[in-house]
Amino acid sequence: MSESSRLKFYCDENRCIGCDGCSVACAEAHELPSGVNRRKVVTLNEGIEGLEYSLSIACMHCTDAPCEEVCPVDCFYIREDGIVLHDKDICIGCAYCLYACPFGAPQFPQDGAFGTKGVMDKCTMCAGGPEETNSHTERELYGQNRISEGKVPVCAAMCSTKALLVGDSNEVSNIYRERVLSAGHGVKTQPYGWNVAYGSKK
Amino acid sequence: MKSKYIFIALIALTSLAFGASDSAIWGKDLIANIAGYDKEGSLHLGKYFTLLQSTYFKPLFFGVLVGVPAAFFIHYAVIGPMIFSHDRKKIYVFTLFNRVVHAISAISFMLIIPTGLVMMFGSFFGGGSFVRLCTEIHAISTLLFIISIVPMFFMWVRWMFIHIDDIKWLMIVGGYLNKDKKPVPAGRFNAGQKTWFWLATLGGVLMISTGTAMYFQDFKLEIIASYGISQIDLLRASAITHNALGIGILALFLVHIYMSVFAIKGAIHSMITGFKEEEEVEILHSSFYKELKEKKEI
Ligand code: HEM
Ligand code: SF4
Ligand code: SF4
Repeated sequence: MSESSRLKFYCDENRCIGCDGCSVACAEAHELPSGVNRRKVVTLNEGIEGLEYSLSIACMHCTDAPCEEVCPVDCFYIREDGIVLHDKDICIGCAYCLYACPFGAPQFPQDGAFGTKGVMDKCTMCAGGPEETNSHTERELYGQNRISEGKVPVCAAMCSTKALLVGDSNEVSNIYRERVLSAGHGVKTQPYGWNVAYGSKK
Repeated sequence: MKSKYIFIALIALTSLAFGASDSAIWGKDLIANIAGYDKEGSLHLGKYFTLLQSTYFKPLFFGVLVGVPAAFFIHYAVIGPMIFSHDRKKIYVFTLFNRVVHAISAISFMLIIPTGLVMMFGSFFGGGSFVRLCTEIHAISTLLFIISIVPMFFMWVRWMFIHIDDIKWLMIVGGYLNKDKKPVPAGRFNAGQKTWFWLATLGGVLMISTGTAMYFQDFKLEIIASYGISQIDLLRASAITHNALGIGILALFLVHIYMSVFAIKGAIHSMITGFKEEEEVEILHSSFYKELKEKKEI
């Protein structure tokens, strides 16, 4: 698989306004139980003027995914397009993938016997799982399969500032490069932030 | 005035409620953990765990699982078991309490070790419900292990400290390299048994705590946090410790089984009846035998 044909997420920190729309859309679209956050919006340098920015984080569908390397039951599989998925029927909920993951992406609903952690859940890039595509079981276990219908993952589709990008890595970096180049040329690249919403102090 | 205090109390309560619901893994620490992953100044535990788990743990467990029994098979074939006379007197060495505690711990080991191995070689068993069941059994039998290892520690610890006999014992590998019935330097417990005792009890406490940490996963311990160790790094360190120490425990567990069941004919009976053959004590625990003689207890 060539590196450029892999599907990747990218969150443009110049645009993300930390509205949490993506994570809410994700939780609703896939009917996630509370406590499972496949996508999360974090704000860095909170309160420090000029340095504060927000980012939307989920499974990054890593090349050479560390989660896949450590799984004791080998339940991960990586699609042709680079989407990292796993089989919940095989997963034993040991959380090794969480220990290996740099992004804290794997989630563990508290639903096992004796109130213990259940099997792992994470972002599927809206590509479902190993069950029959668009079947009821697939939807129950993994949520919507939008990729099979040619749709963009729901988080990126609804992002109001188009900060959250998804696509093959070449395409995503082209869009980002264009944005950087056109900054300051009359193209709106900054989000309507504090000064528009509340009026500038100066 | 009063309403002001009520208001403050309410604020305090809500922040408590939020604090309680804030995850130690996916809460506010998440950002620092992502930004610091494998960076300079971090503990690099994510990388170490990934490397160890993906390439070293499985082969090491497999090596011990095959290598240790193979070595014993050769020992059994070349040197053979020690056989002691059953005609002489028997010496009462293990009280009923000793034997019950040991039996509980033996049962817990026979549950914990195979189920742990099933998890470690989960892909061989195809994952899914069978391996999940083993995970549950592994966790539940830890309770049995706890209730046996604590009394075991206190009932035997006074004989487990190092003694000059232990050095001598190690020099001749406990006399197991030949079948001569020369008295072996050892007290009530020999150096091998002492090693197993410390590994099973102190190592056991480490296995219990690291296993429990992985089991409960999302909690916060102030002592750990006060050293600047994040919860995810605590879990990573737990997994590394649990699996690395598990290799050692598996190895000595296999040694223990071989000694008690095969290498010394009939040794296992002492843990059932409480009595050891006099000749066995005289040879394998010669210092203990002398002591009993001096005290005129036999
Ligand atoms: C050969 C020895 C052992 C192996 C291979 C082993 C392996 C494992 C593995 C792979 C896990 C992770 C799965 C999980 O978290 O669910 C685990 C968890 C655990 N281990 Fe062990 N282990 C061994 C011995 C022990 C011993 C001696 C104890 C302590 C008595 C112990 C106590 C635990 C506990 C409490 C957990 C958490 C259980 C859970 O999360 O369901 N293990 N062990
Ligand atoms: S779960 Fe973590 S390690 Fe695995 S692909 Fe997603 S981001 Fe990468
Ligand atoms: S929790 Fe499931 S997916 Fe993650 S490493 Fe364990 S078995 Fe594999």
